Amino acid sequence: MDESAGMKRKWGETVPVRTHRDVALGVSAQPLKSGPQGPEVQSREPDAYKEPVTRNAGAGGSANRRRRGKGRIDDGRPGLGRTLAVLVVTAIFIYPIYLLVLNAFKTQEDIYRYPGLPTMSLTAQNFVEALTRPDGLFWSGLVNSVQITVIATLASTLLAAMLAHFMVRSKGWFPKMLWVIIPLGLMIPPATTLLPLLRMLRDFGLIGSVFGLILVYVAGNLPFGVLVFTAFMRTIPKELEEAAAIDGAGPIRTFWFIVFPLLRPAGASVIIFLAVGLWNDFVSPLIILGPANGTTVTVGMYRQISEHVSNYGAVFAYMVLATVPIVILFIFLQKYFVKGLLSGAAK
Amino acid sequence: MQTSLMRRLAPRNALYFLLFAVPGTALFAVFVLWPLLVAFASSLTNENFYRVGTSFVWFENYGRLFSDPAFLQTLRNTVILTLIVVIVPNALGLGIAVLLDRVGWVFNAMRAVFFVPVVLSSVVVAVIWQQMLKDDGIINSSLRSLGVTDPPGWLSDPSLALFSVSGIVAWQAVGFCVVLYLAGLQSIPKELLEAASIDGAGPVRRFRGITWPLLAPSVTIMMVLSLINGFKTYDQVKVMTNGGPGVGTTSTLAFDVVHTGIDSGAVGYGAAKAAVMFLIIAGISLVSLRIMRKREVDL
Repeated sequence: MDESAGMKRKWGETVPVRTHRDVALGVSAQPLKSGPQGPEVQSREPDAYKEPVTRNAGAGGSANRRRRGKGRIDDGRPGLGRTLAVLVVTAIFIYPIYLLVLNAFKTQEDIYRYPGLPTMSLTAQNFVEALTRPDGLFWSGLVNSVQITVIATLASTLLAAMLAHFMVRSKGWFPKMLWVIIPLGLMIPPATTLLPLLRMLRDFGLIGSVFGLILVYVAGNLPFGVLVFTAFMRTIPKELEEAAAIDGAGPIRTFWFIVFPLLRPAGASVIIFLAVGLWNDFVSPLIILGPANGTTVTVGMYRQISEHVSNYGAVFAYMVLATVPIVILFIFLQKYFVKGLLSGAAK
Repeated sequence: MQTSLMRRLAPRNALYFLLFAVPGTALFAVFVLWPLLVAFASSLTNENFYRVGTSFVWFENYGRLFSDPAFLQTLRNTVILTLIVVIVPNALGLGIAVLLDRVGWVFNAMRAVFFVPVVLSSVVVAVIWQQMLKDDGIINSSLRSLGVTDPPGWLSDPSLALFSVSGIVAWQAVGFCVVLYLAGLQSIPKELLEAASIDGAGPVRRFRGITWPLLAPSVTIMMVLSLINGFKTYDQVKVMTNGGPGVGTTSTLAFDVVHTGIDSGAVGYGAAKAAVMFLIIAGISLVSLRIMRKREVDL
């Protein structure tokens, strides 16, 4: 109420402009109630990934919000036509996922008879079957996937942060050389180096081992982390580190206590980006872990379809189970995902 | 004084170097650079799993590549797939992002929906679509009930399978594009759009004059990413068609590299294919990097 009074005073003279704008947009003039629009605008706030820096800038947050509440053209209350269009497009787009989840709860017979419809006899039997397979495919895959994803993601992120610090803060031929060869790593498609890697791991006695795959992942994903971290580190004032050094801290302590905590947002981007990629990776575990020594959950899906194509309900249930962990992680870190995507791609 | 202080404080001690520079560099050298060099080296040999005795054949493999109809088909498949994967998701993604760029709970919820395929493994996506597209799958049974007597064999018709596979890769990429373009759209200062509309610009004019130019960096990034991802496509082909139906009708570069070098044991020949693939992707990356740098200067 307070705010709307303020707006009237401040924006009173813009009312004719708004009418004009509405005419330009071809929509009928809507009552300028600040009530329903206020909360809507505020609902954007928690989703930080949608909230670009430019809009947060400055202390004039409330003035900004006020202007947005009343003067916005593009983010006003969307029309019914647009809402319907969005719903239809989204429904078509997401239909395959709906089928996946729905059919995971149906018997084989129902999947064939009513593939696209929910039936009365929804059952969790497929999930029970996937979880209690005699060969324990899901559980062994889950253990492997969690191990590989967690260890490789954290190790790669930490090593990348340290290497990035070295590259940004040191001078000489060595860091210069790294600036040339590390970006090269981003251009190497995994398929091209798989065979030499396979033979090298065999020579090391690491073929078919989770540890070997982790080493490959840590090294292969280093360039992405280094790129994100070097870009981010340049924004950290050098004076901070110099101050720590003057106080007697060595470079390692300086990194650990001053730089590393500041890297948190960039670190979150790298972590979520790598974790999603590693969890879902198919070709490396397929080839490196091989058929004999267990799989990851992602390769497990492939093994399942090649082995019993008849029971799709169980395959779907397995896929839903295999996707849930990474979706949960993603929900927590999604705003960093887009940032990571942008920063990694832009460089 | 200032510079001497800085030099003294520059992190140069041995332990720092050993801890910070060495592990990352060593891992990278051993597990990324060395295999790449080995791949190049073995592309100059006629090595084969199933034959004893390997000799050095210089560039014979490369000569053979470009007269090998199977490899030329692979190249053509990859280019077609990549074109579809660059154009379709970017066009659809941009359209959907513009449509979705509103506030309200419906729009927030729908935005979240488009995130889902981004997190899904391409194996999951391939299996779902395979199930839908197979000859007696949901799509064809719906077509039959609509009166189509002979619905197409989406994955079993050799002339159609490549387009089906490309479509599925594209479908997953749409989610990616929507997410990225929405982030781009929302970083455009609304004051600009307001000012334009006060000056009497309609929605089309505003899009062409303000939104599109300011979105251009996102579009470039997304095009480059799609291009590289298109050239790397492996999972969907392996899961859905295994290169078939027939011989190599849906074979892509990455699939061919793994198939030749690892599954069929033609190490030298497969390595030559890998080298060609690396050169193509490195070429695209370098050219696009240059374009993006130029653009940054222009802006």
